Amino acid sequence: MIHVPLEYFLAVAAILFVIGSVGFLLRRNLLVLLMSIELMLNAVNLTLVAYNRMQPQNHAGQIFAFFVIAVAAAEAAVGLAIVLAFFRVRKTVRSDDADLLRN
Amino acid sequence: MEALEKQFPASDFALLAVILLLPLIGAFVNGVFGKRLGKDGVRLMALAAVGGSFVLSVVTFLMLPKGETEGGAAALHWTAWHWFSINGRVMQTIPIDVAFRVDGMTAVMMLVVTGVGFLIHLYSTEYMAKDPGYHRFFAYLNLFIFAMLVLITADNLALLFVGWEGVGLCSYLLIGFWFTDEKNATAGKKAFIVNRIGDFGLILAAAMLVYYCGTLRFDGIQQNAGNLLGTVKIWPIGNLPTEPDWLAHASSSPWPAWLAKLVLPAKPVQVYASTLVGLAVFLGCAGKSAQIPLYVWLPDAMAGPTPVSALIHAATMVTAGVYLVARMSAVFLLSPAAMATVATVGALTALFAASIGLFQNDLKKVLAYSTVSQLGFMFMGVGVGAYAAGFFHVFTHAFFKACLFLGAGSVIYSMHARIHDTDRSQDMRNMGGMRNFLPRTRWTFLIACCAIAGLPGLSGFWSKDEILWKVFSTRVVGPETHGSTPMWEWPRWLGPALFAVGVIAATMTAFYMFRAYFMTFHGNFRGWKVVRGWKAAHAELGHDDAHGDSHHAEPSGPLEGPRPTESPWGMTVPLVVLAAFAAFAGFLYAEPIRVAPLAHVLEPVFAHSEKFLALREEAKGLLFPMMAPGFAAFLGGTGAAIYVYWNRQGAPERRFARSWPRLYRLVYDKWRIDELYDATVVGMVDALADIFTMADKWIIDGIIAKLTAALVGFVGTLLRILQTGRVQAYAASMVIGLGGLGWFLLRPHAAASIDYKNLKSAGQVVISAAPGLGYSYRWEGQGVPTGADFSPNRQIALQLAPGEKKDVVLSVKNAAGSVATTQISVASPGKPGGAGAMGPPPTAVPVRPTDAPRPEPPRDAEPPPAPAPSSAPKPPAGPAVPVRPQRPQVRPIAPGAAPKGRP
Repeated sequence: MIHVPLEYFLAVAAILFVIGSVGFLLRRNLLVLLMSIELMLNAVNLTLVAYNRMQPQNHAGQIFAFFVIAVAAAEAAVGLAIVLAFFRVRKTVRSDDADLLRN
Repeated sequence: MEALEKQFPASDFALLAVILLLPLIGAFVNGVFGKRLGKDGVRLMALAAVGGSFVLSVVTFLMLPKGETEGGAAALHWTAWHWFSINGRVMQTIPIDVAFRVDGMTAVMMLVVTGVGFLIHLYSTEYMAKDPGYHRFFAYLNLFIFAMLVLITADNLALLFVGWEGVGLCSYLLIGFWFTDEKNATAGKKAFIVNRIGDFGLILAAAMLVYYCGTLRFDGIQQNAGNLLGTVKIWPIGNLPTEPDWLAHASSSPWPAWLAKLVLPAKPVQVYASTLVGLAVFLGCAGKSAQIPLYVWLPDAMAGPTPVSALIHAATMVTAGVYLVARMSAVFLLSPAAMATVATVGALTALFAASIGLFQNDLKKVLAYSTVSQLGFMFMGVGVGAYAAGFFHVFTHAFFKACLFLGAGSVIYSMHARIHDTDRSQDMRNMGGMRNFLPRTRWTFLIACCAIAGLPGLSGFWSKDEILWKVFSTRVVGPETHGSTPMWEWPRWLGPALFAVGVIAATMTAFYMFRAYFMTFHGNFRGWKVVRGWKAAHAELGHDDAHGDSHHAEPSGPLEGPRPTESPWGMTVPLVVLAAFAAFAGFLYAEPIRVAPLAHVLEPVFAHSEKFLALREEAKGLLFPMMAPGFAAFLGGTGAAIYVYWNRQGAPERRFARSWPRLYRLVYDKWRIDELYDATVVGMVDALADIFTMADKWIIDGIIAKLTAALVGFVGTLLRILQTGRVQAYAASMVIGLGGLGWFLLRPHAAASIDYKNLKSAGQVVISAAPGLGYSYRWEGQGVPTGADFSPNRQIALQLAPGEKKDVVLSVKNAAGSVATTQISVASPGKPGGAGAMGPPPTAVPVRPTDAPRPEPPRDAEPPPAPAPSSAPKPPAGPAVPVRPQRPQVRPIAPGAAPKGRP
């Protein structure tokens, strides 16, 4: 069994999280925003399971990751539904156009 | 009868509950279900309720001699339930019960209220037959009977006040019964508001009685009335000085000396408590019984239906004031000044109201001023201590005035059928010759007219003459006092002066009553000439109300109404009964001819008054001679009225109006007292209301409401900038906040709180560092007990000598190895050791973590978020000095080990 140091996992997770957060902040397409959120959630998942490797007797981290995945699935379902409804109203999926309450 | 006595013993006379509840049930049924019952049902309910009450009142009257005797007067008692308790002057508990008591005066009054009340109910069934508010009317009327019975049967002042307000409420409701006409609603409001002024006095009196007598029960007040013989300082108020030198004598004083003496007299002004209580009670009575200066509501109260005027505003409610003065006679007898006030106000009211009545053209207005005038007579009587005589006038007045009002109602009823206008159908100039159309009304009206004018033998003669005789003959003897303040005494001339005023008023009474009689029933009927669009009354007399002028705009042309006809039997039967009583009731108390069955009932009630009253020397043996002025008043007034209005058809009055137009108009406009009140009292209240309106507009609405709204709006404008509506902006702020929070959590924070609790006792100060996750602490400094390395020891105790000052350096290291340092100064007060040694407040200065090579300056200057400054108690001495960084004292500490994440 190859021993991969913890730092590698953490570095990958950090890179994934930064990509996700930067994507969320910079992109305007709602679908891309949803994907960015998934990316951040997966970065967190990766951190959780990576730390869990240090304690083989304990599975809390992995189980927690499953919860995160479940929540992420629900979130994706609701988010996509909202995006769909939004698209029907505004014929667009740009987040800038979701401004009906502003004026 | 015996069975009744067994069932209702004198000490627990529960029959009163039935008497009281019958009208209440009637009011409830008619008020709630009246519409569904129909007019017949309402009539049955109302008449049965009051009739039942009347029958039981007769039973009560008959059972009264068997009652418990207290001081010679028999009384029946019934306590319904305990109401509440209050604490008296010496913290004793004063129970206030819902308790009732019937003595001679109450029993007579109950007969009047229920008896006359029943007749007027009967009359109203016809008078109001076509009114859509039939059930409402009878509900109010029954409620009035209930409230009036509570008022007169109440055993204490608190319960009396309930009835007092109850009748006031019913009066208001019934004056404004036709409330769609604004004039009527205004009259109702006026009555209510004027009565509030009087009620203020009554409440004040009740409070003073609780304070001085320790009870509100009437018999208790009578027993403890002696407590009222103390003096009360009424001026200067509180602890104000009496005439300080600088005010009275200093020549530089800006005040004239007499004003200074008036404001700050040399000796405090003291009056007897009995005078204060008496005047306060009389204020209440003046309001309810329409005396100067609060009489103005009663003439306006004639806006209500005529039976209401007869029952409430002539026969019963307005006499409640006289009843109350008689009821509180024990208090009044202790204050000759209060008695003189009552008698004088009564006499002036009698004269003043009679003078207004001289030239009124509205039939009901004449009767209204006549009522005010007669009430003045009653107060004259009770004012000189002739309680039985004054109350007897209440009794007879109820009959003849109710008869007059109902007769007037009968006339108005037939006039209204023709003219269909309230003002015009009440105007006597449109009447005349009614004796041909309304014979029964005419005869009863004439009898009542003779009674009020004082035709010898009729009831009014006996009661009025009794009052006048007592006014002339009584000498009011004040109580014996022990205080240094002498009691005010009646001057010798006051009795004869009041007598003279009374005789003049009686002359006027005879004149204006017969004037009304002749104008209404004699001569030719002038109503044929009343046409549509009739304006004479308004243009010529300028009636003061600004009512809707709908009828002014009617097209002119003669009216084609039916000719006046006699009222139905339902209305004339009460007239006949009342006229019979008006004629013969006087023999119930005809003292001069020694026929006085009622006197035996009434006089024991006022037996206690005898020792305060005496016969004047000059009046001895003048009983029959002094009847002459009263008889002359009748002859003079009646003769003048016959001459002017029968022989000359009112020509002398018209001549008088032409030659003295201003005086005539002044009297016709009721001496313009209403205008005077409008200009002064009402104007002042209006001005006050205007001020409050301004305050409301500018302070409440302007500053409080608008300024707050503007502030919120401004903040909202600022915050709206942040609400861009861009998801990314929100997310960015989230990320920045998260980063900041993480950064804060990663840094160690050195802060400490200082406990001075044991400083005084043990000279010890405890310093506690703020806790944090994974923190370890190092304490350095003078007298620090722990070692110089990082340890989990979060608290140290320092010993301080008085005046000593110590500096401690606290270093905190977190799990990542960063270290923060702060310096803490503690000082003990005591001997001052130098200029700045008086214990500067504990300061907790954050110091940049030493692992940061180049800290940004602003971060360094930020105060710590630690709880230390706020939670630390302030040092006992020394001003609070703001936190200041003390950088020079910070010792650089070597950075700890680099963070190691590696296992």
